[in-house]
Amino acid sequence: MDIGLLGQYLANGMMLGTMYALVAVGFTLFFGVLDVIKFSHGDVLMLGSFTGFTAYLGVLAVGIVNPWLTLVAILVVSITTTAALGAVIARYLVLPLKSAPPLNILLITLMLGTALREAVRLFYPDGSNPKAFPALLPTASVDLGGFALRADSAILMAAGIAVIIGLNLLINRTRLGLAIRAVAQDEETAKIMGINYTMIVLLTFGIGSGAAAFAGIMNGLYYNEINFGMGLLLGLIGFSAAIIGGLGNIYGAILGGFLFAGLQTVGAVALPFASAYKDVFAFGVVIALMAWKPTGLIAERSSDRV
Amino acid sequence: MSSIKIENVFTAYDKADVLMDVSLNVEAGKITCLLGSNGAGKSTLIRSILGLTPPREGRISVDGKDITGAATHKVIAEGIACIPEGRRMFPKMTVTENLRLGAFQVSDEALIRQRMDHVFDTFPRLAERRDQLAGTMSGGEQAMVSIGRGLMGGPRILLIDEPSLGLSPLYVKENFKIIESIRDTGITVFLVEQNVRQTLAISDYGYVLSGGKLVAQGSAEDLKNDKEVYAAYFG
Ligand SMILES: Nc1ncnc2c1ncn2[C@@H]1O[C@H](COP(=O)(O)OP(=O)(O)O)[C@@H](O)[C@H]1O
Ligand SMILES: [Mg+2]
Repeated sequence: MDIGLLGQYLANGMMLGTMYALVAVGFTLFFGVLDVIKFSHGDVLMLGSFTGFTAYLGVLAVGIVNPWLTLVAILVVSITTTAALGAVIARYLVLPLKSAPPLNILLITLMLGTALREAVRLFYPDGSNPKAFPALLPTASVDLGGFALRADSAILMAAGIAVIIGLNLLINRTRLGLAIRAVAQDEETAKIMGINYTMIVLLTFGIGSGAAAFAGIMNGLYYNEINFGMGLLLGLIGFSAAIIGGLGNIYGAILGGFLFAGLQTVGAVALPFASAYKDVFAFGVVIALMAWKPTGLIAERSSDRV
Repeated sequence: MSSIKIENVFTAYDKADVLMDVSLNVEAGKITCLLGSNGAGKSTLIRSILGLTPPREGRISVDGKDITGAATHKVIAEGIACIPEGRRMFPKMTVTENLRLGAFQVSDEALIRQRMDHVFDTFPRLAERRDQLAGTMSGGEQAMVSIGRGLMGGPRILLIDEPSLGLSPLYVKENFKIIESIRDTGITVFLVEQNVRQTLAISDYGYVLSGGKLVAQGSAEDLKNDKEVYAAYFG
């Protein structure tokens, strides 16, 4: 294979890995603080994309044409709205069910995901059809020895990685992060330290959902298209990535995200029927990995999380 | 100096009451102990004070202020700290991070550093291991972290639940000495223990809990000499 195509695959894989990692971090944070798996996460991401798209239409309507300004508006509106939605879901759906069997939470968040999806399909103007997400980033490209790296790809990837690093610093270096980790490791002792437990849970769900919104915007900018069902596969992949990495471990989630993207890329490059089977291949390897290491690649005892 | 007043408290986990009509005072600047065998309900009383398992009836107040059933972080904001049973380290955090969490509600970074230095002065072993993960430390070292963490918030009242549990006699002795010195700095101490002799040796006043009910109380001196109480509850 020529170097240009390989570079293309690599860039694409990195991009996907960044998005997956951003989704997986949410799963891992939610599981960390509340021991729950929130299956509506992918659809919250989708909602983040649509909120961003709506913000774009709004900005257009008031006559702003500067792409950077538009981008900032999309990000701010989408991330804050989605973060707030995540906190609301935690407050009114997940926290009240905290002591219910885990299966109930799984089922309820699964249903919530379906409800969000269907709501967008039915009530968003022409919601059942894909929306053309604007290409707001410069598309000029630099030639890297046969492979043309486009500026928009480079910017997206850099921004995504910056957000991942930022999340990591937030969790490991700040007072809020300290509280999140404390709640994840021992909820009751965290309370005894004077931590406002409910507040930390809501903030954690807000942060995870905001990260998903960012991934949703990335997705829209990269493919220039969003649709009401986009959260289904992204949610499943993010969940798988979090599981491969050892649910509850933030580094594991990031690793899992890039690993899954790597598998898809290898699947697309190496399989005879090309890209059609890349997901089958990637999920197949995940199943094999799970059989080999049931607790994930970064093994965790149930007591030490995040 | 602060005090806790517990009045006619009933606490239950599911249906059955674990604490029945418990009333006691934790006097300002003193060590008040609560003695009782395993399952008597000692930890449940601490959980009731902290709002972790709120009483279903009765009243708990700090310096006259009602805290019955308040959220735990609000109880802590009243100047209460707790060294929980089993020490409860955050196992994947360093010693420093564990101590930092003890001062979670303190916003003055200089004060936090000063208190941490004080903890390291008291327990030089911890200073050497400040970057070690707490989960990898010995029981004795974890006890030091737990005590240090309890002091980091600068509490006016300290609740201590079975500090001698699972420790070697040498550490137990050391711990009781430290608890005495904590009292001497003006911190009110509520000490829950099964270790009758050593607890009474440092306490000012004591209560005996059995089957969720208070069955005896008196000055530490009186309880020490009470043959009947000894025979009935600690035989
Ligand atoms: N989380 C809980 N759920 C149900 N029952 C409990 C719980 N914790 C303690 N108990 C019961 O309450 C009683 C008192 O327990 P506890 O307060 O821990 O006693 P102590 O600290 O004196 O050993 C025991 O019978 C115990 O089984
Ligand atoms: Mg106990």
